[in-house]
Amino acid sequence: MVNCKKLIMSMISLITLASIATFAAPTKEANAATTYEIGAGPTFEPYQIEDATGGYHGTHNGFEMDILKAIAKHENFTYETKVMSFNALLQATQAGQIDAMVAGMSVTDERKAKFDFTDAYYDAGAVLAVAKDSKIKSFSDLKGKTVGLKVGTTGSQYGESVQKKYGFKVKYFNESNPMWSDVKNGGIDATIDEEVVLRYGIKNGVPLRVASKAHSTTPIAFGTKKGANPQFIKQFNSGLAWLKKSGKYQEIMDYYIGSKSKVKADSAEDRTIIGLIKKNRKFLTNALLETLKISIIGIIAATIFGVILGVMGIQNGKILPGISSTLIYIFRGLPMMVLAFFIYIGLPDVLGHKIPLFTAAIVTLMLNEGAYIGAFVKGGFEAVDKGQWEAARSLGLSYQRSLWKVIAPQGVKIMVPSFLNQFIITIKDTSVLSAIGVMELTQTGSVIISKNMEGFKVWAIIAVIYLIIITALTWLSIIVKKRMN
Amino acid sequence: MQNKTKLQVRDLHKNYGKNKVLQGIDLDVKDGEVVCMIGPSGSGKSTFLRCLNKLEDPTSGTINIDGFDISDKKTNIDLVRQNIGMVFQHFNLFPHLSVIDNITLAPVDLKKVDKETAKKEALGYLDLVGLKDRADSMPAQLSGGQKQRVAIARALAMKPDIMLFDEPTSALDPEMVGDVLEVMKKLAAQGMTMIVVTHEMGFAKSVADRVIFFHDGVIKEAGTPEEIFDNPQEPETKNFLDKVLNI
Repeated sequence: MVNCKKLIMSMISLITLASIATFAAPTKEANAATTYEIGAGPTFEPYQIEDATGGYHGTHNGFEMDILKAIAKHENFTYETKVMSFNALLQATQAGQIDAMVAGMSVTDERKAKFDFTDAYYDAGAVLAVAKDSKIKSFSDLKGKTVGLKVGTTGSQYGESVQKKYGFKVKYFNESNPMWSDVKNGGIDATIDEEVVLRYGIKNGVPLRVASKAHSTTPIAFGTKKGANPQFIKQFNSGLAWLKKSGKYQEIMDYYIGSKSKVKADSAEDRTIIGLIKKNRKFLTNALLETLKISIIGIIAATIFGVILGVMGIQNGKILPGISSTLIYIFRGLPMMVLAFFIYIGLPDVLGHKIPLFTAAIVTLMLNEGAYIGAFVKGGFEAVDKGQWEAARSLGLSYQRSLWKVIAPQGVKIMVPSFLNQFIITIKDTSVLSAIGVMELTQTGSVIISKNMEGFKVWAIIAVIYLIIITALTWLSIIVKKRMN
Repeated sequence: MQNKTKLQVRDLHKNYGKNKVLQGIDLDVKDGEVVCMIGPSGSGKSTFLRCLNKLEDPTSGTINIDGFDISDKKTNIDLVRQNIGMVFQHFNLFPHLSVIDNITLAPVDLKKVDKETAKKEALGYLDLVGLKDRADSMPAQLSGGQKQRVAIARALAMKPDIMLFDEPTSALDPEMVGDVLEVMKKLAAQGMTMIVVTHEMGFAKSVADRVIFFHDGVIKEAGTPEEIFDNPQEPETKNFLDKVLNI
C-alpha cells in the first residue's frame, strides 16, 4: 500500500510539474504597455523572410517585419515574434495567445467580424501565372483547365469569383511553393496568386510567367482579436503615418519591390547541394539542435509518463489500471497533430492563458509517445512468467516488492527493444510539430524551400539529416542490446 | 516427534466457475509430519496445495496454519507465507539473479538480515543441497535437477516451519530425480513438516508418515504408506495404483 501511495504521489507530482511548466509561462501582463507578442507567418517573401534562427531578428526580414521594426522604434514599444502557420495564427489570435498577427493578412468584411485591423500598408492584387512555356495568355484561355488557389488568400477569392465566367477547375493548396511547383511540373495549368509574392519568386528563380494584370486588390494589415488591443492599433497607426510621411516607408518597399530592388537571386552555385548547405548552414544547425532538444526532452518526459502508466496498469484492483488504460486509449487514439493543436491552440481558450510553444511541443510528445510506452511497459510486465510472481509471493514478498525486485528487472529486459524503437519513432514524430510552428528540421525545410524553390534538393538534405540521426541511434541500440546479452 | 497440530483444514471448497475442483477437504497435519498426496491428474491435489499458502483463493472453508486463519481477509498473508516454503514443479528461479542472490533476496528484503550473514547462511543451505560450488552461477547455467535443489535452498533460507512441494520432480529428466529426492529425504529426517504432491510412489512409500489419495476433489482414502500401497480399501485407489505401479 505504501508503494501504491508513492506511485500516486509521483503521478500527482508529474502532473503538477507539467502544469507548472504549462501555466507558469512568463506572463506579459506586467509590462503589457510596452512589449507585444506578435505572431508572424513562416517565410512569405517578400512580406516576411525568416532569418537563420527561424525568427525575425535581423535586418531585411521582409517589408512587413521591417515596417513593424521601424514603427516599434519610433513609437517606443518592444515586441517578441512567434512563428506559426497562417491558420494557426488566426486561431492563436482568437485564443489570445498573441497580441497581434502579421502574415500578409487581407482585410475582409468577414474577418472584420472577429478581428480589428490596423491601417493598411499595402494593397495586394491577384494575378494569373503560368509555366514559362505555357500557351495560356490570359484568363480567357482557361476553359477546362485546372487552376491552383491558395486557401484564404486574395488570389483564391478572386479565382472563385471568376471561376464560372472562365470555366476552369480549381485545386486548393495551403502553401504557395507546392502550388507553383505543381504549375511548373504540369500537374495544374495555372495559378492565381498574390502579385508581389509571385514576382518576387520569379525574380528568385521560380520558372513561371505572369499572364495578367493585378485584379481585385485588397488592403493588407496587422490583425488583433476584436476589442482586445486598441492600444497596439493606435501606436501602429501613428507610427505608420510617420513612416509614410518621412519617406522611410518607400525606402523599405523599394528594397524589395520594383526596379530599385537590391535583392539578389541565388546564383547557380548557391543552388548546388553543397551551396544550399553552405548558405543555410545556420538554419540547418539550429533546426537539427531544435529537433534533438525536443526529441531528448520529449523522450524523457514520455518515458516517465509511460512508465507510470505501465506500472499503474498492473496494479491490483480496478481504479489504477482503469485510469491507466483510459489514458492510453485516449492519447494513443488521437492523431498527434490534433493533440498538438488541442494543447497549443485549444487549451488556452479554456485556461485563458498562453502556453509556450516549447511546453506545448513537449507535453504533446509526453502524452502521445508516453501512451505507447505505457502500453508496452504494461505488456512487458505482463509477459513475465506467472511462476515468477508465484515464487516471489510465496517467499512472503508483498505485491509491490515482488514487482520491483523480481518482475520489473525481467520486464525491463523484455521492453528494451520497444523502448529503442519508440525513441526512433519519437524523433520522426517531432516533424509533426512543424504544424504548430516549431522550427525543427521539417519546418526549416519548408522555410528554406519557400526562399529558393529547390524542393528536391532541400528535402533530400533534410531526409539525409534525419537518416543520420536515426542511424546513429540504431547503432547505439545495437550496442545496448549486445551489452545486455 | 511432537504431536502439536501444525495445519488444520476444514471443509475446503474451490470452484472455477461451475467446475468444482475441491469439494470439502478436511485435513490435520502434525508438527514434523511428512504427508504425501497422490492421485490422478485433475483430482485437485495441486489446487489444494496452492490453497494452503493462498496462491489460490478458496471458495469456502477454513485453513489454520500455526493458529493463523489464512482464509480470514484480515490475516497478513505475506507474514504467514514467510513461514511456508514452497517448491514448484517448474522451479521458478529468478533468472536475472545469481544462485546466491536468488537465495538471499527474501531474507535480506523481508527479515532485514545483513547481506554478509545472509550469504553465509545461503552457502550453508547450498551445502545441504550439494551445490555449494555453484553459488555464483546464473540459473540458466544449471541443469533442471540443480535448479530444483537451488529452489529448495531458496525456500529454506526463510527458515519456514512447513514446506510445500508441488510435483517437484515432474519436470526433471529421470537421472536428476534421485538428487532432488535425496535432499527431500534429508529434510524429512531433520524433522521438517512437509506436504508433498508427487507421482514418485517409491518416495511416498519410504518417506511419508501418511499418504493421501485424492480423487475428484475429495480425499478418497488416507493412511500409512503400508495401508495405502499394500492394502488399499477403495476401488479408485486400487485402480490408480495398478496404473502407476505396473508399468
